[in-house]
Amino acid sequence: MNFFIIALVFSAALVSFVLPQPKITRRIAGIFAALNFGAVLFFVWPYLSGAQKSFNGGWWFIDGFSALMLLLVAMLYLAASLVSNRYIKHEREEGAINDNRVKLYFSLLHLFALSMFTVLLSNNTLLLWIALEMTTLSSVFLVGLYKRKTSVEAAWKYAIICSTGITLGLIGILLLGYGSGFSGSEASAIFSLSALAEKAATIPAAIAKLAFVFIFIGFGVKVGLAPMHSWLPDAHSEAPSPISAFFSGILLNVALYAIIRFQVLTNTILGDNHWTINFFLVFGTLSVLLPVFMMIIQKNFKRLLAYSSIEHMGLILLALSVPPLGIIAAIIHMIGHTLIKSSLFFGAGEILLTYKTTAIDKVRNIFKTIPRTGVLFVLGILAIIGLPPTALFVSEYTMFTALLQTHVWLAIVIFAALSAIAFAMLRLTIIMTLPSDAEAPVAGVKEKWNVTHVVMITEIALVLALSFWFTSDSGLNFINGIASNLF
Amino acid sequence: MIINQVIATILQTILVLALAPFAVGLVRFLKARLQGRRGPSPFLPYWALATMFRKEMVISESASWVFRAAPFVVFASSLALVFMLPLVYRFGIFGGIADFLVISGILMLGSIFLVLGGIDSASAFGGMGSSREMTLAALSESSVVLIFATLSFINGSFKIDNLFGAQSVFSHPYLLLSMFAFILISLAENARYPVDNPATHLELTMVHEAMTIEYSGRYLALLEYASALKLTAFLILIANFLFPALSSEALGFGSGLMALVWTIAKVVVLCAALALFETVFVKMRFYRMNEYLSLAFFVSLLGLVVTLSVVGLNFDYATILAGLTILFVVFLFGQVRLSAILRYYALSSLAIAAIAFNLSLMSDRAEATHLWIFAAMTIIIKSIFVPIIVRAAQRRQKFVANLQSFLRPTSSYFLAIFLAVAIFFAMQQSAVVNIIGWNVMIYVAVVLLVLGLATMIIHRNIFSQIMGLFVVENGITIFILATVKSLPLLLELGIFAVVAISTIILSILSSQVREQYSSTDTENLRNLIE
Repeated sequence: MNFFIIALVFSAALVSFVLPQPKITRRIAGIFAALNFGAVLFFVWPYLSGAQKSFNGGWWFIDGFSALMLLLVAMLYLAASLVSNRYIKHEREEGAINDNRVKLYFSLLHLFALSMFTVLLSNNTLLLWIALEMTTLSSVFLVGLYKRKTSVEAAWKYAIICSTGITLGLIGILLLGYGSGFSGSEASAIFSLSALAEKAATIPAAIAKLAFVFIFIGFGVKVGLAPMHSWLPDAHSEAPSPISAFFSGILLNVALYAIIRFQVLTNTILGDNHWTINFFLVFGTLSVLLPVFMMIIQKNFKRLLAYSSIEHMGLILLALSVPPLGIIAAIIHMIGHTLIKSSLFFGAGEILLTYKTTAIDKVRNIFKTIPRTGVLFVLGILAIIGLPPTALFVSEYTMFTALLQTHVWLAIVIFAALSAIAFAMLRLTIIMTLPSDAEAPVAGVKEKWNVTHVVMITEIALVLALSFWFTSDSGLNFINGIASNLF
Repeated sequence: MIINQVIATILQTILVLALAPFAVGLVRFLKARLQGRRGPSPFLPYWALATMFRKEMVISESASWVFRAAPFVVFASSLALVFMLPLVYRFGIFGGIADFLVISGILMLGSIFLVLGGIDSASAFGGMGSSREMTLAALSESSVVLIFATLSFINGSFKIDNLFGAQSVFSHPYLLLSMFAFILISLAENARYPVDNPATHLELTMVHEAMTIEYSGRYLALLEYASALKLTAFLILIANFLFPALSSEALGFGSGLMALVWTIAKVVVLCAALALFETVFVKMRFYRMNEYLSLAFFVSLLGLVVTLSVVGLNFDYATILAGLTILFVVFLFGQVRLSAILRYYALSSLAIAAIAFNLSLMSDRAEATHLWIFAAMTIIIKSIFVPIIVRAAQRRQKFVANLQSFLRPTSSYFLAIFLAVAIFFAMQQSAVVNIIGWNVMIYVAVVLLVLGLATMIIHRNIFSQIMGLFVVENGITIFILATVKSLPLLLELGIFAVVAISTIILSILSSQVREQYSSTDTENLRNLIE
């Protein structure tokens, strides 16, 4: 089944590359993504519903957690393909990119999704590493799609910083394998996640600790953890908006998925989780606190959203550092953040298409000019700062419950930071809704419903619905089932 | 016995005295032929010396006795070298006192008096040459001590006969590092390319010729003869070091005669090598001499370090290759030209391929096949593909890539060596090394990793960042060899594919940066900082 998914996405990339007509390339992307979404849903449903615990096919491995992540990737893949169709068409008509770039964009989009699927399906640590590196390599030119100074700069930083980070992660993977081989594992077993977990008791603790440091720091670059986050705001703000949504919504989660997999393994080796969760606590706190200052002085709405992503990754890390309740919070937060942040970036793309700028100063009166996008965008902002009743409120509430039991002062500091962030985001959003002093920048063409709005509405509705479901018994069971893979 | 020793020393002295002018003439002759000129006969220096000995001398009125004494002291020091060094025969009559400190003392005495003679004539050129000579001597002295220290550590003796005579280079191949440094120093000591130009008085950067410029007639002849003797002695020493089997102890008539013939052959071969070298290379600017001599210093230091860490442990070729890998990366670290950086990157990758090949000799069949593929892929991807692609990216932009750096080359070398030493001590303390034991390959991997990251930080240039990334990647490659030896074939190819794809992507991206910013300095990439 996983071969089917991989083959499907790969053929999508190939077809996009080979097809002579960029117009067709654009349109079939959504069809492929929809087919893929159906296949993934069909494939992962037994693991999500708890009917099947896990599947281990040597090279491939799937359990409830990876099933959830696979579903999220497939969802965003579909959403991004649909929105890209409209967004790229618009950019092509504007003359911002040429036909070759359109084809490049869609081929790389499919390859990018493919490498994320591979990360999530892989049971082999080296294959996981290669796939994670491929997520960087395939998305470099998505970030640098426009031949502008700033885009090229963002792409350069993204490529160099992430490649270096992930390369460092490889050392950790090799060290783990070596530690296992050192204590007598067979050569074929030292790179298999499940085999490593079985032989966990024999791996020396010192090696496992060193390996985890490399993996955490290396892959943490890709997650965008402060202080290794410097590429993230640049790449998110310069990439085309559907790609920013893809990045922020799921790429960071996929990298975090890799870290969590190794954390679980390291916990098994060390016998308890005290050592590893210290990393999560420290880097989580930093990632929440550092973006606060940048968000308060921010004048660019896409960068604002990018910094918000760093902050949310920090929150997920913090939640993971207070198990077992925190793990439930982290999983809910991952789901909620994926949906809401992507819908916000789609909305940001619509604003960008209308106003031709990402500077907040020049975006005024969005309720008048683009009422539909405007309303959805503001709803998204309200959801991302964690207002009830959204899934993010549920997760943050759960996280604070757990955090207050162990780290009271830290919880208070984080709470203050979140308030400051909420203030920063609301202030800028309010500025965007105010009428402008000067004449209206865009002539009064009435905004029509388009595919982006449909995607945004679906995602926001889903977040609202999920917040109710997660607080019910069946929803809690569902999350518990997934979280049980992470102990 | 003593009679034999006396005869041996006399024979050696006569032969070298007779050969010296021929050696100088031969180098000139061969160089001329290589440059497409007819050139004078190789025997011309004999006539030149004879003529000069008969000529009248012109001596400045301001010159003191030092000026008159200098030629004799210089000649005497060269002659003493010929007496003492194991050139044709080992264990001559002076072998007992020929300690390496004595030899370097004699060398120093000669150069000091040459310098004094240059100053004493009070001419502008003489003083200039003397000051330069002292700079060079001060810089090269430390390397000489390190080279001799390495040799004496291995042979357990300070006697020059034992140092250069023993059959050490084959059983201790890492001595080639010291040898390389010794060749660099020899070129500097004998005022050859790339340090000095022996053929002209016209160049403003002349060193040796500037000091002797006020001499004429007999004194000049003495000085020239002395420098010819020194050159010949050094050439024979190098040859003896590389092919120790060809120098013999003075045992009997037959082997003694053969040694004379071999010596002539060595001189001819090395003169040819020197002529070829001087045709291919050009003289360096004087202000780059510190780079040249610090290179010699670091190579000799590395030789000493490798020797210290290898002798007594289980020695294998992997250690030398690992040392070479580090050495090339240290060179890479100090370079400013992209083509030089790429060259050293390719060389260090080649050394890694050699390590893999060497490992394959000790492995079973299935693993050996893997390692062969690994070595072949390393050569194809890293030694050939990466340099070609990166250079192509640079060529397309039609500019000479001089990569700006925060550090000058010499300080870069110092930093690199400092890092390498610091990592050595840090790793001795680390808990993981305590578990798995000391492994020189893991050490190399860590050094490459750190140097690669340092390259990315110090050189603020997109090409240096690419190369830094690849050096880090090379470190990991060695790490793979040191820990798990071979990966499953498919994954191994996958990792090589990642390297190849990153090369292409980064090259394309670097062209785009260059197009947009018309510079490759990362300091300019500052549009996105708020």
